[in-house]
Amino acid sequence: MQKEVDTTAPFREFSEANGNYYASTFLKLQRNELSAWHLNWAAGLGSFIWAALRGNWLLFWISLAVDLIGFTNIALIYKYATAAAQATADGKDYLVTRYENWTNLHTVAAILAFVLGRLLVAWLADRLYYRQYAIWRVDRNHPSGTAMRRVLLALLVVALVAPLTLYRASQFAPDQRTCLKQARAIQDGKQVSFKDRFDCSTISEVPTLVWLKRPVQYEYPRNEDGTRSIVVREQTAKRPVNLNTYASETIDQAITYAKVFYGWFFDGITHWLRVMLNAIEAVFVGTPWPVVAGMFLLIAYSFAGPRIATFVGVSLIYIALFGFWQTGMSTIAIVVASTIICVVVGLPLGIWVGKSRRASTVVTPILDIMQTIPSFVYLLPAVAFFSIGKPPGIMATVIFSMPPMVRLTALGIRQVPESTKEAALAFGANPRQLLTKVELPLALASIMAGVNQVVMMSLSMAVVAALIGAGGLGFIVVEALQNTETGRGILAGIAIALIAMMIDRVVQKANKVEM
Amino acid sequence: MSAADSQNVVEVRGVWKIFGTRAEEAHAAIDKQSMSKAEVLDQFGAVIGVRDVSFSVDQAEIFCIMGLSGSGKSTLVRHVNRLIEPTRGQIYIQGADVGGLSSEELRALRADKIGMVFQNMALLPHRSVRDNVAFALELRNVDAYTRMQAADRVIETVHLEGYGDRMPSELSGGMQQRVGLARALAADPDILLMDEPFSALDPLIRRELQDEFLELSRSMRKTTLFITHDLDEAIRMGSRIAIMKDGEIVQIGTPEDIVTKPADDYVADFVKGISRLKLVFAHTVMKPLEQYEQTSGAIPSVDACPTADPEADLDTLVNLAVDHDNPILIMDDGRAVGVVTKDALLRGMQGET
Repeated sequence: MQKEVDTTAPFREFSEANGNYYASTFLKLQRNELSAWHLNWAAGLGSFIWAALRGNWLLFWISLAVDLIGFTNIALIYKYATAAAQATADGKDYLVTRYENWTNLHTVAAILAFVLGRLLVAWLADRLYYRQYAIWRVDRNHPSGTAMRRVLLALLVVALVAPLTLYRASQFAPDQRTCLKQARAIQDGKQVSFKDRFDCSTISEVPTLVWLKRPVQYEYPRNEDGTRSIVVREQTAKRPVNLNTYASETIDQAITYAKVFYGWFFDGITHWLRVMLNAIEAVFVGTPWPVVAGMFLLIAYSFAGPRIATFVGVSLIYIALFGFWQTGMSTIAIVVASTIICVVVGLPLGIWVGKSRRASTVVTPILDIMQTIPSFVYLLPAVAFFSIGKPPGIMATVIFSMPPMVRLTALGIRQVPESTKEAALAFGANPRQLLTKVELPLALASIMAGVNQVVMMSLSMAVVAALIGAGGLGFIVVEALQNTETGRGILAGIAIALIAMMIDRVVQKANKVEM
Repeated sequence: MSAADSQNVVEVRGVWKIFGTRAEEAHAAIDKQSMSKAEVLDQFGAVIGVRDVSFSVDQAEIFCIMGLSGSGKSTLVRHVNRLIEPTRGQIYIQGADVGGLSSEELRALRADKIGMVFQNMALLPHRSVRDNVAFALELRNVDAYTRMQAADRVIETVHLEGYGDRMPSELSGGMQQRVGLARALAADPDILLMDEPFSALDPLIRRELQDEFLELSRSMRKTTLFITHDLDEAIRMGSRIAIMKDGEIVQIGTPEDIVTKPADDYVADFVKGISRLKLVFAHTVMKPLEQYEQTSGAIPSVDACPTADPEADLDTLVNLAVDHDNPILIMDDGRAVGVVTKDALLRGMQGET
């Protein structure tokens, strides 16, 4: 008997108020004797107040959400009942039925939320409370017992969350355009009712807080001797603009300036990208298809064996039969071009990042940003500086697919064991020998994984780049999207997937063989 | 006399190594008053790796540096080929100050004069055994034919014939360390630095490699710095032993010195469990003849007694004592100089002389 009392003592210490109830409940939980339908009625009734009192914040948010759903539905009932009355007065019968249907729907939802939701809370209460106890056993600072100050905190949260949420549900919110008109009206000194202003500033888009003078716009007309002069353009609209418009117009100005005065730089890049791509396209597109197909099969067979060669063969037959050969090859040409650039730039960069802590702190965040930005966004600066066509497509593809090359090269270099490098130094290696004879060979597997990633990412971006005129299979997909030719799009999509799988299989297998 | 005239192949003079950005401040403070390792760490956030170490190693000597992990022995040995720069002190190799070498001269020294063997082998996994062994020569731009010949020769020396074309991963730990040894020997260096070469191996293989290395060392006469944390190994291998603790050398001496005359309690603690049979010699345990005759009367008769050399170890003396009842006479140049009784022998094995 003495032992029984001892085992439940911590339960009592933890729950403080109503210790006997929790002692027996927790004991049943530990013995797997708790009924599947066990409910804590106090929690069901007290809902988030009970959860706050006990310090169980997970249950607090669950029960607050449940109650808010219930009350929101009641507010919606009010909203649509009022609207229905208005519609009856206006004689718009079709609206009356619609609003009455919605009123009924939300009535059911409110009842369900209050009944089922509260039951859920009551069911969860003791189970979550036991979890809280388990954490408290390890960390005595974890909330335990009951405390009124937690209830006050909870009420503060509710006061912040509930009123506006419920108000929003009971009203038809004004749209952004209405609010923009309202802002203009206020700027022009017109009177606007308090309710409209309140609605626009709380339950619509976040109100515009910063109004700025429109940035100065410049023009760069060409002089007779070929130079450019800088002229301030006359402003037509005198209204202040919001931060978004101000910033975007400033960026536009900067890009225009760069293009006007440093156009030779971007034109030069475009030119050399085109030269490189032409050479590669000559290989893939210009060479007769039987030769290219034969080469592909041979490469696949010698690097990756008969099974993958068979897969490559089948894929090539698909591409050929459905008439994707030339477009497919031009996509591959873009992938090859951007992969070459990525390796040429990314490998030295990766070595540098792998060896220098400072380079790593500078380059890593840039790579993070490059990888987080969605692929579509890369198209914008590419078009801005390099116009449309294949060269900007390659540019966007290179930027998109560079990070894994740098990262995996750096990782490979860093993973070379310190002791191996030390041994090489002990035998008189100079820095160049250390790099070429020890570090690069040991990092090779990682570097090749990087190349594989670059190829895959280039392919996906080359398809997206069709949006800015990079052509290839992506263009067929874009066309199909615009003209709702679903069938054509799907066939082209399969061709893209097959090309991706072919390259991936061969490169991966080739890597493994080398190891 | 210049350092070059002496036969010291490696000479370490007053070497200090303090790690940390505030090493110089720590040095200045230590110059004023002596500070313990913990105090320096506490005040300057700097770690004393090596503390005022001096020693010299003679031609063809195996000099063991023995200490527990963290005692600075691996740090110390890396100063010899300047993988680590000392913060104070000089190291001379065949009379040349290593600290004064340009980076090109230093690389030449490392490649031509010093071979190093590592505890974790540190072989290049992407190269065959032969290419690993030839690595030092390759770094010196020796042509492929010559270095392959040289590599094959050393591979034979370490008894790895026929394994030249295998990859290191195909070899057992013991064999990998043979490759490590072969790599160190390939450029025929004068000096070998062995950083716990056999510690990662299992006891039988370790023993085998120790014996082989001793044999090699006798025939090749390489000056060797041998790092170990195992006193048994140090005693087996070393002609002299330096015992390190907290970056300092506590005692330098022959194995017998260390075992019979430990400098302090720390060393005494170490040598407690060491078998003295092969380390203590007759001259240490014998009683001079005159002294013996004063206390115990004349010796029975020279012919009736077993005789031994002053350099005979206890093991030999035990064998003699088992076969005879009379005390053992120690003869030097055909003249009896001392007597070892059974009591003295037993006490000698215990460590009391």
